[in-house]
Amino acid sequence: MNENHIIDSFSIRWVVALKEEAKTIIDHYKLSVIDGKSLFPVFKNVDDTHWLILSGIGRHNAAAATSYLYSISKASKSTAWINIGIAGCGKGNYGDLCLVDKISNNYGKNRYPMTMSRSALSKMHLFTSDIPINNYSSQELIDMEGSAFYDIASKFTSNELICLMKVISDGPENNLKDLNKDRIINLIKSNIINIKKVISYYENLSHFDFLRNKKPYLYTQIISRWHFSVTQKYQLENLLRRIKSFLPDNNVLEIIKDCEKGASVLDILDFKIKQSEVDWSNS
Amino acid sequence: MIETIYIEKKIKNHPRTKSILSKFKKARFIEIDRYGEIFNKRNQNFRIQKFSPDLILAHKESGLVLPAPDGFGIGNSKNFYFSHMYNCIYDCRYCFLQGMYSSANYVIFVNFEDFDNALEKVIEENKSSKITFFSGYDCDSLALENVTGFAKHILGLFRKYPDIDLEFRTKSLQKDPFISGKFIENIILAYSLMPEAMSSALDNKTPTIAKRIDIMTTLAAKGWKIGLRFDPLIHGKNWKKSYGELFEKVFNSVPLKSIHSVSFGALRFPKQMFKNITKLYPEEKLFSGPLSNNDGIVSYDHDIEEEMISFCQDITTRYVDKSKIFKCSI
Repeated sequence: MNENHIIDSFSIRWVVALKEEAKTIIDHYKLSVIDGKSLFPVFKNVDDTHWLILSGIGRHNAAAATSYLYSISKASKSTAWINIGIAGCGKGNYGDLCLVDKISNNYGKNRYPMTMSRSALSKMHLFTSDIPINNYSSQELIDMEGSAFYDIASKFTSNELICLMKVISDGPENNLKDLNKDRIINLIKSNIINIKKVISYYENLSHFDFLRNKKPYLYTQIISRWHFSVTQKYQLENLLRRIKSFLPDNNVLEIIKDCEKGASVLDILDFKIKQSEVDWSNS
Repeated sequence: MIETIYIEKKIKNHPRTKSILSKFKKARFIEIDRYGEIFNKRNQNFRIQKFSPDLILAHKESGLVLPAPDGFGIGNSKNFYFSHMYNCIYDCRYCFLQGMYSSANYVIFVNFEDFDNALEKVIEENKSSKITFFSGYDCDSLALENVTGFAKHILGLFRKYPDIDLEFRTKSLQKDPFISGKFIENIILAYSLMPEAMSSALDNKTPTIAKRIDIMTTLAAKGWKIGLRFDPLIHGKNWKKSYGELFEKVFNSVPLKSIHSVSFGALRFPKQMFKNITKLYPEEKLFSGPLSNNDGIVSYDHDIEEEMISFCQDITTRYVDKSKIFKCSI
């Protein structure tokens, strides 16, 4: 894996229960199965920006697969996590793609994922059940993985970078028993335009968060040349961010080029910052 | 635009809840048990939330009126603050709220009557003292007035207590609650100000300084007392010239007899708060300045801080009596 590439970009991790639900995603984002023995089937694109795991049905599978994908895909805090699948629904229209803004199950407190802003897609509550339910009257969306996916993904990233999308597949007028592989594939496929819009939104958020957390441009170059302790590395990062307001990167290299030790680099940067005044007129 | 409104079950039928919800016809409403489920949850990304904050309507259970921190006052012997709202529609880069709360969502407490009772209790308990109450410590006290109607509500209470001062601290241009009735002697409308160049870099989504000066002038003409809050003072190239021009503009626009008080405050953050904020905005120019950590408080170096305050006080005393000038030192 090209780690530098990931660091400079967005990253998306998909957790999908069934291969029929994943097929359109795998095709569209050009994901290939990764080599080697794996606990779950895992796919990724050539850029390593999109990874997808097939979890199988149920909360336990979803939780295990989400953890597993995190551990093998070098996901970061800026990675966006997506769960997509079909769901039963008591009130929506067959085939509609919905965003989930509240999740409950029989075991714990409610969860409230943030949803994509300015989206025309319906927002609904999701109930995650351990058994298939065909009494749709008491719930909006019903699935078998959502709450577990959310609970685990929220340990890896912020709530704002977690998204659950469901396509309504069964309900009072669409019997669960009528669902078959082709129907599931088509339900996702018919929503690919909206799915792409949602994913593009999360790619942007992920990218935005990557940039926020990214080390300053000169950081790697400087620590490869001088020795710094852990504390000094933190100080260096901080000083490089601050000096950016006063000096172009080339000038920074120029003023530290004769330093013999890491500590001298820090002293010079600190001195330079203290000599400078922020110019608010060019903000 | 508010897209989602979370409503505590306890106040879902409160008339004020219904009134607020009626102003957001396109929003999705979600019932919750307690506002902390949304506001205090772990792993929130303040900066992403700030793109599109949601609204939470809640019931404030306790701590409705609290003693103001030491060093926060404008002359009276006892100071208290209260917050009918947490967070702010503005996005000022020096604001401590962004380092204090993990959520950027807005919380509005709808039980205004409980604030009334708590305020009256404090007034009763401090009959022998001169008191100032501050609204707008955890929010901008007027910025969402068209949604909450809080200022309009609370003015009614303070009309009854002419010896008790109330300060609304704001950057907003909200004037409705003040121009629709007669001015009230004990109300101070206090505006945060800084030179325009700094404000346009740091006061995101706020009205310009020129507009704030205009609204102060308008309200002063109606008899309202005006507070000038140069807090925080921001350092930078030509800061003396910038502040000098600002003072000239303000003191030549706002009638001097309307000025209740002027206060100056240095840029200061508790260490942990500073760490939180710089993590959110690592490239922010404000944090490139000559800041250092002194006993757990991150601030400009002492000499700079003293020079700025003394410079500003000196100019101000040419216009305003010394007794009306205060240094905010929290």
